[in-house]
Amino acid sequence: MNSFRFYLRLSACICGLIMICGCSSAVSSGQNTALSGVDLVKMTDDMAMKIAASPEVQRAYKEHGPLKVVVLPVENQMRAEVLPRGPAEMFVGRVRTLLSKHSPDEFVWIMNRDTWYALRGRELEGVEPGPAPGAINPEYSLSAVFSSIADEDTEHRSSYYLCRYELTNLADRTVLWSGSYEVKKIAVKGFGD
Amino acid sequence: MYTVRKRYVGRMSCYLCVSVVICGSLGCESQNNARIVEQSVNNYYDGNFPAAIDELKPLAEKTNEDFVVNNLRLASAEMAPYRLDDAEASFLRAIEVINSTGVNNGGRTLGAVLVDEKIKVWKGEPFERAMASYYLGVIYYMRHDYQNARASFENALFKLRDYNPDRPNDSKDVDSDFAPAMLMLAKSYQRIGRDDLAKANFQAVTDHFPALEALANEQLNADSNLLLIVDFGVGPRKVANNDGAVVGFRPLPHEEGRIPPPLVYVDGATTNSLQFARPPVDLLALAQERRWESIDTLRAVKSAVGTGLLIGGAVAGVNGLNSTGSRQRTDLMVSGALIGAGLLLKATSQADIRQWEMLPRTSFIVPLHVPPGTHEVAVVFPGGVKQVWRGLVVPDKGEATYYFRMLRWDNGPFNWPPVGWMNSDLAP
Repeated sequence: MNSFRFYLRLSACICGLIMICGCSSAVSSGQNTALSGVDLVKMTDDMAMKIAASPEVQRAYKEHGPLKVVVLPVENQMRAEVLPRGPAEMFVGRVRTLLSKHSPDEFVWIMNRDTWYALRGRELEGVEPGPAPGAINPEYSLSAVFSSIADEDTEHRSSYYLCRYELTNLADRTVLWSGSYEVKKIAVKGFGD
Repeated sequence: MYTVRKRYVGRMSCYLCVSVVICGSLGCESQNNARIVEQSVNNYYDGNFPAAIDELKPLAEKTNEDFVVNNLRLASAEMAPYRLDDAEASFLRAIEVINSTGVNNGGRTLGAVLVDEKIKVWKGEPFERAMASYYLGVIYYMRHDYQNARASFENALFKLRDYNPDRPNDSKDVDSDFAPAMLMLAKSYQRIGRDDLAKANFQAVTDHFPALEALANEQLNADSNLLLIVDFGVGPRKVANNDGAVVGFRPLPHEEGRIPPPLVYVDGATTNSLQFARPPVDLLALAQERRWESIDTLRAVKSAVGTGLLIGGAVAGVNGLNSTGSRQRTDLMVSGALIGAGLLLKATSQADIRQWEMLPRTSFIVPLHVPPGTHEVAVVFPGGVKQVWRGLVVPDKGEATYYFRMLRWDNGPFNWPPVGWMNSDLAP
């Protein structure tokens, strides 16, 4: 009887272990070589800090007052990695947010034309999208280009990213400030990959 | 002796309980989901996309082992009626997991090997992964987001790389045998303005697939202002042999016959599509290139050992029936244990035949040049399969892309824009 009870307990443990181990979510485990939220925060913190501290930016502010800047979404030149519209706006939008918070006097942010038309297209009640894009001309653009070298085979997937940001004078196309962020990611394939 | 036998009976009973509990708990919910999936696939092929979407949406939200396949099914059902925002989101969710590694680490690997292969998170065969990225690329191409389209087609090519074992290990020169993605990659480069890369990729299509030379003509694609992506037929079906342990794809290409070319009519007049509209891929043929994996070996070995145990158990049982006394009892107990173990191994060596049922046999890429304006476009295949759209807009500049999922019971005529179009921000 004792051994019978022992084997019953053992079988219950085995059942429980297999049930619990088999229940991990499809999206919570594993590694991905795409740019993640961690990269977003690190990258944009770094870029915002560098823009604010840039001597050229400070000089331009002192000479001409607050810089009128339009924010453009990221241009995707990455290999085999898509960048949907939301993240493409977020990777530059967060830099704008940080600069608005920490250097509010140095920049005036102009909504870009596509966003203005999208907002007007939604016909949101009580929301005035502001003057038409042609009414306020930005002087600078804050833009980014993400490129990568990527490869994938039966054993792994790897990507090396170079994310370049630029603050460009729209009048003469000179680059007032530029910065970059680099990261390499490798994911090794396992069972079922 | 009596104590030893009791201990033995106790052990065997408990192992049987374990198996029953595991198999039972896995079986109940999956049976119900299988019914819903079957119903949604039927609705899809009947052209009842809203019903298919309603059935698949709750399944696609569950982050279980069917997360990827349900999102791909949902994406197909959303793409056909031009719910492109929703289809993009569904494809992105699926592709994120497809591109991830180690998704099955730990418990799912153990479960798939010991218990049921369907415990592992389904990520699809290479051609299914490639088609997922291909369709996402088509969506971006339709939206004129050519950089994201390019990236998606590159990802599709990653999924179907052809490794030549005769090449040195460090050779980077591998081919991809996925012509639709190669062609659309070339077109994306053309739209981005990288004519050098477009030319190189069109040439690569011609080099690898001489039958597509006319379709991969650089000028033909540069002049195109109306691109039709036409999905035709039904893709391969994953089937298991009688034993359930060995998996393959059916039907074979020769069983279904050659893929007919589409006849395209614009405002009732024939176009020159027959000169270049060749099927860039035959998924029935591509599915036959399935590589034998280690899980296939494991499954085959388990099944073979299970068969052996069943035979051994049967022999022991016959011996037991022919003997008497304690010898008979022993033989019958051994027979029971062997048969039980054999059944267990057979039950846990069943192949995983989950698949993306909405895939077509092929996806035609038909670049046309027509006068700008609105047109009625009809795509006709032999046997009565056709689809008609009225009011398709062709721009003065650039290229408008339209997706046709050819279904026997859903011919149209349909009017542009479709109901789902109002939610998308794409203007042709």
